[in-house]
Amino acid sequence: MAIRARRLLVAAMWLAGVSALVAIVLYRLGAQQVAVVELSVGAGLVTVLFVFAISIAGEEGLSEREFIPNELAIGLLVVFGGLLAVMDLPMDELGVSLSEAEFASIFWEDRELDVLLQLVFIFTGVVTMLGVLADVRKPSRIKKRSDIPQAHINPAFGTDKHVPQPVLQPVAPSETQPESSKETPA
Amino acid sequence: MDWLIILTIGIPWLGAGLIWLLEERQSRLQHTLAVVFALAAGVAALAMLPSTTEQVELRIKIGSVFGDFTFVPDGLGVFLAVVATVVGSLAVIFSVDYMHGEAQLGRYYSLVLLFIGAMAGLVLADSLLLLFIFWEITALCSYSLISFYNDDPKAVEGGIKALIITQLGGIGLLVGALVIYAYQGDYQISRFLNEPEVLPTNMLSVMAFGCLIAAAAKSAQVPFHTWLPGAMEAPSPISALIHAATMVNAGVYLLARFYPAFEEVDGWTTAVISVGLLSAFLAALMALFATDLKRALAYSTISQLGYMVYAVGTGAIFASQFHLLSHAVFKALLFLSAGAVIHSVGTRDMRQMGGLGKQMPFMRAVFIVGALALAGLPFFNGFWSKELILEDGLHEGPVWAYVGMLAGAGITALYTFRMVWLVFYGERRGSGHIHEAGRLMKLSTGLLAAGTLTTWLLIGVFGEMLENTLIYHHLHVESAPTLLEEIITAPATLLALSVVAAGLLGWWFRAPLAGIAASFKPVGQAATSDFGFEWINRRVTDWTNAGANALRTTQTGSLNWNVFGIIGGLIVVLVILALGA
Amino acid sequence: MSTLTILAGGALALFAVGLYGLLITRNMIKVVVALQILVKAALLALVVAGKASDQINLGQSLAMTVIVADTVVAVIGLALAVQVKRVLGTMDLTELSKLRG
Repeated sequence: MAIRARRLLVAAMWLAGVSALVAIVLYRLGAQQVAVVELSVGAGLVTVLFVFAISIAGEEGLSEREFIPNELAIGLLVVFGGLLAVMDLPMDELGVSLSEAEFASIFWEDRELDVLLQLVFIFTGVVTMLGVLADVRKPSRIKKRSDIPQAHINPAFGTDKHVPQPVLQPVAPSETQPESSKETPA
Repeated sequence: MDWLIILTIGIPWLGAGLIWLLEERQSRLQHTLAVVFALAAGVAALAMLPSTTEQVELRIKIGSVFGDFTFVPDGLGVFLAVVATVVGSLAVIFSVDYMHGEAQLGRYYSLVLLFIGAMAGLVLADSLLLLFIFWEITALCSYSLISFYNDDPKAVEGGIKALIITQLGGIGLLVGALVIYAYQGDYQISRFLNEPEVLPTNMLSVMAFGCLIAAAAKSAQVPFHTWLPGAMEAPSPISALIHAATMVNAGVYLLARFYPAFEEVDGWTTAVISVGLLSAFLAALMALFATDLKRALAYSTISQLGYMVYAVGTGAIFASQFHLLSHAVFKALLFLSAGAVIHSVGTRDMRQMGGLGKQMPFMRAVFIVGALALAGLPFFNGFWSKELILEDGLHEGPVWAYVGMLAGAGITALYTFRMVWLVFYGERRGSGHIHEAGRLMKLSTGLLAAGTLTTWLLIGVFGEMLENTLIYHHLHVESAPTLLEEIITAPATLLALSVVAAGLLGWWFRAPLAGIAASFKPVGQAATSDFGFEWINRRVTDWTNAGANALRTTQTGSLNWNVFGIIGGLIVVLVILALGA
Repeated sequence: MSTLTILAGGALALFAVGLYGLLITRNMIKVVVALQILVKAALLALVVAGKASDQINLGQSLAMTVIVADTVVAVIGLALAVQVKRVLGTMDLTELSKLRG
């Protein structure tokens, strides 16, 4: 449903529903911590973001003319899913019993690197988003490609030793910014 | 101790961050901050010297799954960290004059400082994963500093070439790291050196040769050496710091660090010796025919690194590291003074120079000091370390390699004198105003020249430090007077000296020998074209490009079809798995 | 058929739905929706696998990483979509792929 829904807003609502369902299942499985996070982030935050995005960008009545014939897509997926299911589904046989530590200890101690990288990741994500959104004020940048090189060559750049040449690969500052923020660990 | 390690790595990185944030017009502040932070890092590294130990001194917990990030400040690590930070500070001081008035100083200095910190981290790290991370950071800095003048296509090309080739080597290191992790459960190098038997023999040799590839790519050894001459597009202080004194030594460091574990691997030492020999000999020939001053120095770096690799191959870890120290000092000196010359003349072509000695007497003096050390003339630091390598090579290594290295030493003397002559003596062939170098340039080159004259006095202390803290290497280093006496009295020394003298005489009497020189012309042509390695490089690049172009038609750019392809590929994999299982 | 097998099947089905979405949709926002569904499936599969091997907390830790990554992807994807809409006036991927040089 989330895919087939014609209106974007409806699709987003369906996604929230799926998210909530997954969260419930996780809770029943015993993964309480993740379930809570999933519910708040997956079902809550992301949906709000979707609503924002859709209200900014507006609905767009795309003709749903597909590239790939519907039947072909479904057939492909059935083959794929069938193969996977046959090979991996009998889950109960795994039954490896290992002594299990507390969630907190695994999360904070064993996989401390994961947590650190997550922090870095969130940070870069935020910076990237800001960079992407900041371009709103200068929409001309993408239209006029010829502007880009000039914006990047500092006129004082070429000293007596170096004749300025056209930049080979113009890079928009929004792309380089998150990189730079990564390189300056405190 | 632990805070000293943090300071050595942290200070330059902090400086890098700060300078990056400064505005472009505050260039004075940028210069000053860079010098202050680099010097502070140098002091922190020097302060580690008295308390080297083989124990883990700093442990950063990152979770038991990956093993902790540990640092071991042993003799080898601390010594290289000192080289990195001290030569780094001198290069930064030199840059104040050299980069005066250039744009984008912030980028320049923060990359240099980032590099210094990463290099110190690389040599102190005891976790192979951490070492790999630092290894790649240094590659990144090297790339972006080679391409610092990013409006110059040649600089960009050189940078990308360096990046790609060193990345190839990085794969070798990564393979090694994963092998260790798979069998040992963590990345601790000291644990691995303690009992390399945890790895089955075939895995050990996979790792040994992986590390050899990594080292050859990083240290610009044959057949991966082609990136180093291209890297000479970088500003001269960068060439001195990264491409002569520090980063290129990382490969030698890696080999020396793992020598106790790999020693027993079949054919490994022979492979190391061959790589070292080929690099030392071929690069010396190329240096003989190079016309670009910095390129000639780059080839000579390859050649000298070849000596160190050869020494590791013969088991002479101490000699190799001692030569590394000498080389770092005198080659940084040569690059910096060459930089001063180039800065003043405005060209790198030696055919455009000549007779510069009159206008630049100070630079001539320090350059000659460096050149004599490079040629291995007595009582400069290069003499002691090179003789030590050759002597150990004679006793421990195969004779064919020794003969090759000896010939290399002769060619080294020959090209060194050719270089000095072309630049500072004879008639001036170019035009334009020449000015003597700036005061800070003189300061840093002067200090390095003093180092060139004196670092060999440290031989005893240095040997003791390595012997005490490299417990897995079972080094036995004589005391300083014994060592020095041995070097002077050994017949090998006389032999080597006479070869060096032959090289010198060869240059002196080049006019009468012109006939013989002419017969060497094909060799010269082969050397200028890099003995075909450059050609191989180009072919590989062309093939890759052609292949990529051919594959391009499959990229429709449509998301739907891309996903279709992904699923199709997955199905194929699954079918294969299902059939296989 | 135990609960776990059914749940694993459910995760697989969810995965298939997500892939189906990626296969047919051309609207950028819907692409993000489809990606979200894919990731939900992966999340579920991780926890189910954790449960099956009695290591549910390890599964949870990994799932946490997945959630973070997935949220960042959603945020950036949406920001991009909004931006593309503003600048180019369309969110149709077919139109966008005409831009390639």
